[in-house]
Amino acid sequence: MMPSHIKQLFFLPVFLLLLSGCGQFPKDPEKTLEQVTNGTLHVGYSENPPWVVKGPGGPTGSEPDLVKAFAKSINATIQWQNDTEQNLLENLEKNKLHLVIAGITEDSPWRNKIAFTRPYAQVGKKKHVFCVIKGENAFLVKLEKFLHQQQSTLETRLKP
Amino acid sequence: MKPIDRFEYPEELQPDYAKAKKLEWITVAYLLSTALLVYLTMGNSQAMKTAWFEDMLSLTPAVSFLIASRVFHKAPNKNFPYGYHRVVSIAYLCSAVALFSVGAFLIFDSATTLVKQEHATIGIKVIFGHEVWLGYLMMAVMLYGTFPALILGRMKLPLAIKLHEKNLYTDAAMNKADWMTAAAAILGIAGIGLGWWWADAVAALLISLDIIKDGYTNLKQAVFDLMSESPKKVENQQDDPLLQQVNELLKKQEWIKEFAFRMREEGHIYLGEGFVVPASEQELVSRIEQVSQEVENLSWRIQEFVLMPVQEIPMTTAEK
Repeated sequence: MMPSHIKQLFFLPVFLLLLSGCGQFPKDPEKTLEQVTNGTLHVGYSENPPWVVKGPGGPTGSEPDLVKAFAKSINATIQWQNDTEQNLLENLEKNKLHLVIAGITEDSPWRNKIAFTRPYAQVGKKKHVFCVIKGENAFLVKLEKFLHQQQSTLETRLKP
Repeated sequence: MKPIDRFEYPEELQPDYAKAKKLEWITVAYLLSTALLVYLTMGNSQAMKTAWFEDMLSLTPAVSFLIASRVFHKAPNKNFPYGYHRVVSIAYLCSAVALFSVGAFLIFDSATTLVKQEHATIGIKVIFGHEVWLGYLMMAVMLYGTFPALILGRMKLPLAIKLHEKNLYTDAAMNKADWMTAAAAILGIAGIGLGWWWADAVAALLISLDIIKDGYTNLKQAVFDLMSESPKKVENQQDDPLLQQVNELLKKQEWIKEFAFRMREEGHIYLGEGFVVPASEQELVSRIEQVSQEVENLSWRIQEFVLMPVQEIPMTTAEK
């Protein structure tokens, strides 16, 4: 029984090569990235200055600025939704939103229900994250790469 | 009372035993290194906790082998008149429990993922300024988890049979479980990359059935060994052919009219008693001594065989 297993294992690298050849990788199980690219990005925000500040013309602050730039990079229009953090994250869990910002840090207990991006900035001991739908890996990777590219400009801006 | 000998492997098996010990040290170092690598790639994620828990459990057979190896050959004394051989059976029980637990834990973990429809989230990691999908890193780490485990397990199997080391055999099964879960994880992560959130859990579920089967077989045998079941082979749960040889040897003796014997396993070795109805009582003592010596000479595994002359065969003895 063992020898056949060993042979099968040797096919793995070949299999992986084939995989990397076929377009978008990783993919989204629910196709989030596909839907928002050239489409609408549903973003929930909850006030938490200076990260998110509620204003008459929509949210301002460092996190809304990042979201706006990200939406522009994938040619998406933003549909803002303002609510409490609790309601927003519950909606995110039900896939009714694509993204939630509220100055949330990595140690938030919500980490088991929804997914966090890797910390995009660290202020003091607090690592700041965006909240996304669990398992939508193409969208997550796109967003994380975008945030990483902003990191150097961000950190100079966030310095007190 | 004749004291039970201090047990060491016979001369010709000493190098094999030394090799087995070396393999177990390598296994411990290797498993710790995989645990460290997993920690470095996955940080404090849930996947990492699962993998870490599994790594710690799969250390059990190797560690219990090494502990038992320091104990079992101690000479019998006033407090332990039968010697320390059973420590090997106890180590075997620990390993079997660990193997069974790995299987059970995997089933539980992957079934929960499927029932709750938990979608595995795998983002990027930045290494020296490069953005790498964490899935690729995990696959690389898991690849390190396959081949060495595969080779270690394969090297242990023949030694385990030669040395009558059921614990070592279970450790080989644990290595098999290790490499199979790692291989399943590679396919599972690749599946997640293709957008199949269930891939990882399904792969783990399939593998866990095989592990739990190995775990159950060994757990049952370990318990039976401690309950003094008659000796079974290492590689399967069949009667040791040595019992047949003992039977034939006793049958050959003309001075024995009737006989019955029983044997039990204590780690690497067997202990047993025979009851004989002598045809004549001429030179009975020297004959008894000679035959029990002959039985003990059949194999190094028979450590002690006591012969008892009786008027008639007691009804309770099993082997006839």
